[in-house]
Amino acid sequence: MFLSFKEIKKEKVRYGLIIGMIVLICYLIFILTSLAMGLAQQNTDAIDSWNVKSIVLDKDSNTSMAQSLITKDEVKKTNVTSDKAYIGQAAVVTKKSGRTNESAQFLGLKSNQFVAKNLTLTSGHKVEKANQVVVDDKFETDGYKLGDKIKFNSLDKEYKIVGFTKNAKLNIAPVIYGNISEWQNLKNINGQFVASAIVSKKANFKTDNKQLKTYSKSAFISKLPGYSAQNSTFTFMIAFLMIISLIVIAVFLYILTIQKIQNYAVLRAQGIPAKTLVGATISQSITLVVSGLLIGIILTAITALVMPAAVPMSFNIPILSEVGIGLVLTGLLGSLIPIRIILHVDPVSVIGG
Amino acid sequence: MTTLQLSNINKYFGTGSSRVHVLRDINFTAKKGELNLVIGPSGSGKSTFLTIAGGLQTPSTGEVELEGQSVKSMSNKQRDAMRLNKIGFVLQAYNLIPYLTVKEQFQLVKKVKKEHNLTNLSLEVLLKRLDIEDLQNKYPGELSGGQNQRVAIARALYTRPDIVLADEPTAALDSERVVEVGKILQTLAREQNTAVIVVTHDLRLVEFADNVYQIMDGQMTLNNNMKLA
Ligand SMILES: Nc1ncnc2c1ncn2[C@@H]1O[C@H](COP(=O)(O)OP(=O)(O)O)[C@@H](O)[C@H]1O
Ligand SMILES: [Mg+2]
Repeated sequence: MFLSFKEIKKEKVRYGLIIGMIVLICYLIFILTSLAMGLAQQNTDAIDSWNVKSIVLDKDSNTSMAQSLITKDEVKKTNVTSDKAYIGQAAVVTKKSGRTNESAQFLGLKSNQFVAKNLTLTSGHKVEKANQVVVDDKFETDGYKLGDKIKFNSLDKEYKIVGFTKNAKLNIAPVIYGNISEWQNLKNINGQFVASAIVSKKANFKTDNKQLKTYSKSAFISKLPGYSAQNSTFTFMIAFLMIISLIVIAVFLYILTIQKIQNYAVLRAQGIPAKTLVGATISQSITLVVSGLLIGIILTAITALVMPAAVPMSFNIPILSEVGIGLVLTGLLGSLIPIRIILHVDPVSVIGG
Repeated sequence: MTTLQLSNINKYFGTGSSRVHVLRDINFTAKKGELNLVIGPSGSGKSTFLTIAGGLQTPSTGEVELEGQSVKSMSNKQRDAMRLNKIGFVLQAYNLIPYLTVKEQFQLVKKVKKEHNLTNLSLEVLLKRLDIEDLQNKYPGELSGGQNQRVAIARALYTRPDIVLADEPTAALDSERVVEVGKILQTLAREQNTAVIVVTHDLRLVEFADNVYQIMDGQMTLNNNMKLA
């Protein structure tokens, strides 16, 4: 510790630059991870907000709620109790003169079932009539107000925005919560069809109908259009970034150590044990990486505060902690590589002349 | 009392036709309380002799014994401990760690060798004698060559070694300082009962020596006549 701190104190510029480099790497990885998480979350925000464990769909829908239709017959014997709810999904384009059109997901709910009942609003009130809707706050960001009348697709019927809710996104599109009867209208289907899906807070919810199948929430989410592809792309990007950062940081720490060999040779000649020098090298690497990491975290936190809401970012502390620990281990690895050299440093090499 | 003994030492570098015979059949004994001077021109094998004596390199043939113990038979750890506890090295160059102040050079030693070092008071006295007591907060890069060398000498004496091995300790010093360093090494030998071995081409140190050896093309001869000259 003594040697490593004294050296950092003496060579402020050199070590400042190295810490700066580590800060930037940490910052880059954190921001990229948060962006990836933010995007992933926009796929699932709405589903997450319902707190459901399983979802029942038509078995031929390819696990897509948009493609699933459940008939009255199929749920004849199913008891839709308080921890279950119907959802009717329809993709819509909203229109209002003077506002940009929005591609959105209309989700029809039954107002006496838990999804509708548990909906938390940021303003306004819940859906009370068939022509009322509660919409994701993206609409608010885009200039829509409570009381605004909107139309769907090419239909003439007007719906009134009576409430805004947060974190209502499905497959990145903002969600419009309305009445399930309106879902039937939008889909142009009759009362034979009750919903696209039944969601349940129970993991083991099963219907006795062969045409319906229960999926776990995670199985359902992984089949959301584009979700898995998007996530694996980001995972690979971040993994490659981590590996390359690992190499860059390791190389820097390696060069640092090599530059110190002459000093270490003198100390070895004087009988200072190799383990003291190894300790100094490792503690220095950890000091550099940890301080770089801490500054990177502070920068990330500041970014989180000033980032406009339109940029989807999610600061998932457990995952970012894992990333941070990975970086510290990287630094440790980088400082371990030259240890062989320290252990074999030849004191005679500096004596010459 | 014999402290350091080199018997029949030969040292070769390289192999085949490029093999050089740097030290030839060297027999050398250093006793506590004596200042031994080894004089020789550049390239005569002085540094090689000193590093072999200090256990930093192994001779091609022959035996080095420190206080009766064969250096060859020691483990690396024991050799480290021997250098730290028993030997004070003053190297020809690069003695000091560039990112530690003069004061911290001593602190570093104290962290590794906690006991039996000079007391703060004795260190002050030594630094004053070497005329470097005002430089304690300076880095080696801020000191002249001579000042660096004197700090290196103090650094070597700080651990109160039984044997001091010094390689050209006066190379960068003017005559006045040479006399001071000569006196310090002489006092060290006589009063602290230390075995001091100095290799140098600096004849100005001869007057302080108890024994003067000459080394020429790897051969060493005792030549105490030089003291009279
Ligand atoms: N590691 C080495 N490899 C090859 N030759 C060496 C090595 N070390 C020293 N020598 C040679 O041994 C001779 C004596 O070197 P050295 O002991 O440093 O002399 P001095 O210190 O008296 O100037 C020189 O010719 C030098 O080139
Ligand atoms: Mg030499």
